[in-house]
Amino acid sequence: MIIIRPIETKDLPDLLNMAKNAGSGLTTLPANEALLLEKIESSVASFNQNTEQNHRFYMFALEDTEAGRIAGVCGIEAAVGLTDVWYNYRVSTTVNASSELGIHKQTPTLYLTNDMTGCSELCSLFLDADYRKGNNGRLLSKCRFLFLAQFPHLFHQKVFAEMRGYSDERGVSPFWESLGRKFFSLDFTHADYLTGTGNKSFIAELMPKYPIYLPFLSQEAQDTVGKTHDNTRPALAMLKSEGFNFNGLVDIFDAGPLVEAFVDNIRAVRQSRLVSVEVGCAPEFDETDRDPLIVANTHYLDSRTGLISKQALVGKRLLISKSQASSLKLKTGDQVRILSLRESVNLKSTHK
Amino acid sequence: MLVVRPADHHDLAGIEKLVTTSEARLTTLSNQRDQLSQRIELSQQAFAGERSVAGKERFLFVMEELPQAGLSDVDSSNPNIIGVAGIDACAGNGAPFYNYRKDELIHASHQLDIHNKVPVLYLTHELTGTSQLCSLSIRRDYKQGNALELLSRARLLFIGLFREHFSREIIVEIQGKHTDSDGSPFWDSLGRHFFGMDFKSADYFSAIKTKTFIAELMPTHPIYVPLLTPEAQSVMGKPNDAASPGYQLLLREGFRTSKHLDIFDGGPTLSARLDDLHTLNHSRYKFYQSSDQVSKGCKYMVSNPTLSDFRCVLASLDEHEDTVQLEPKLVDALQLEEDDRIAVVAF
Repeated sequence: MIIIRPIETKDLPDLLNMAKNAGSGLTTLPANEALLLEKIESSVASFNQNTEQNHRFYMFALEDTEAGRIAGVCGIEAAVGLTDVWYNYRVSTTVNASSELGIHKQTPTLYLTNDMTGCSELCSLFLDADYRKGNNGRLLSKCRFLFLAQFPHLFHQKVFAEMRGYSDERGVSPFWESLGRKFFSLDFTHADYLTGTGNKSFIAELMPKYPIYLPFLSQEAQDTVGKTHDNTRPALAMLKSEGFNFNGLVDIFDAGPLVEAFVDNIRAVRQSRLVSVEVGCAPEFDETDRDPLIVANTHYLDSRTGLISKQALVGKRLLISKSQASSLKLKTGDQVRILSLRESVNLKSTHK
Repeated sequence: MLVVRPADHHDLAGIEKLVTTSEARLTTLSNQRDQLSQRIELSQQAFAGERSVAGKERFLFVMEELPQAGLSDVDSSNPNIIGVAGIDACAGNGAPFYNYRKDELIHASHQLDIHNKVPVLYLTHELTGTSQLCSLSIRRDYKQGNALELLSRARLLFIGLFREHFSREIIVEIQGKHTDSDGSPFWDSLGRHFFGMDFKSADYFSAIKTKTFIAELMPTHPIYVPLLTPEAQSVMGKPNDAASPGYQLLLREGFRTSKHLDIFDGGPTLSARLDDLHTLNHSRYKFYQSSDQVSKGCKYMVSNPTLSDFRCVLASLDEHEDTVQLEPKLVDALQLEEDDRIAVVAF
């Protein structure tokens, strides 16, 4: 069974392998063993509530219980920008007009902001190429909404996700070439790596602080502002369908879009609901089922999330097999939070 | 014989012809007849010392070629104008005076061993009210030779004589580098984005309109120079070829390039303290004597001491005599009275 659980220290080798395969663009998952271990330990400490609430970082792993390995990760940062500084550009508009000359000119302008300070971030989403099929991607991304729905007090009322910005097939970001490079004298991948390693002070030191009039950048760079990497488009579409909006904030390095939502307004949070579990005779789960339920136990430390056939939902009871119960750490009578994996399907219509 | 004197209304046609055929850009001098006429009027008020223009005088000089035969042959209604030049006592003339100030920020990271000097352009009005030399234009066939220097430096001699009208620091804006087709690489990279017009149009409006449209259209945030095109960066602070001789002259005179640039074409702004200028430091008052028997000496600029009827010419004379011998035709050209003293400075 494919399940989602909090990451553990033993996952380090798998995680390192994945990071090595990921290449640049995954700012929060650099291929650096010490750093990845640090991240895992930070997550473990967070789950154990050994760190201050605002500094917690929750990392989840997608585990293939049969293969005995993890094949994906995702994370939630409880709050960004409270120890270091969180930067975004806001794409704003400057209007210059002269009625005498009949000129009215709108100029998109980038303002360096710290607007997201304190908000929670969905981050570190990565799925190994071998597992990019079926429902894995959706499960990995959406499990976090169930966690947010179950433990809202641990997070800010606003969550956001930064989408990887456009880069060409050689990994060159036109936005970086036209702006960042002129101030950083670094390659995008290097700068990106440094951010991921937590060495963020260089951003404050090197970044231009004054607003940037967009027409000063190359046409190519202008065209990529707020545009996501081709590979990230499905993820963006998924978040938008969950109620996330692009409100003009972009990444300072590659101008990828930042999408944000209030936790209460996220579709998955609103539509998820609690039902009771009954362990015993349950319908088989077919991995090719395109329309299953995501099911999360309501445990905190032993949080487990997986997919169950919709046939298993009978009234307010969810029927699960013994092996499912064991994988999801459930017993009869436990509450679970359920959600239709696909946003187009309203769970209520399946009530019997 | 060349003489520099205040412009008057008889000079209108001559100035107009000069301005319309000038290869150099003259932001401060319109080619529209009524505006030129108004400018001459303002200048006459300044030379007349009228209170209405006090503190904001806009002196306009012309350089006229007098026939060798002498003043008797001059057709005063149709003077032979070969140059024009101005002094604004107060840059901006009561309105804001725009410049970019080029500063540098250090973007450094010890951790990454990066140390970048980033030039930044700040829009500034700080030169507003400073006295400035402006509006210099000279007929093409007079560019070689003494005419340019006489015209340009006559203004400094004038400033030295009437210091109380001017600020202690003085500036000159030099035309920036343009392309063969009258475009400006600096403008194309900067102003054009906000004005939505080519350089020529903007330049035209800036000559004939109030500065309001600049306030309305010019971007207010500082501009990072590395974001401008390489072409624009390379012309910043460089004089136009046509302006280069005048630029060299001013450097020799004691002007220094400043941090200020023209907001349209990125041309340099020169500045100097009056006390540092060669012409002011070396000019002397002398008595004169009209004489046909002038012993040939070195070349000097000579002017009368009169604000309203200022005249300046070139003469060969011996400065070391207390009383300088001047040919009668120069005395005439300088419109000297019997007891006038003259100002002289080596040329």
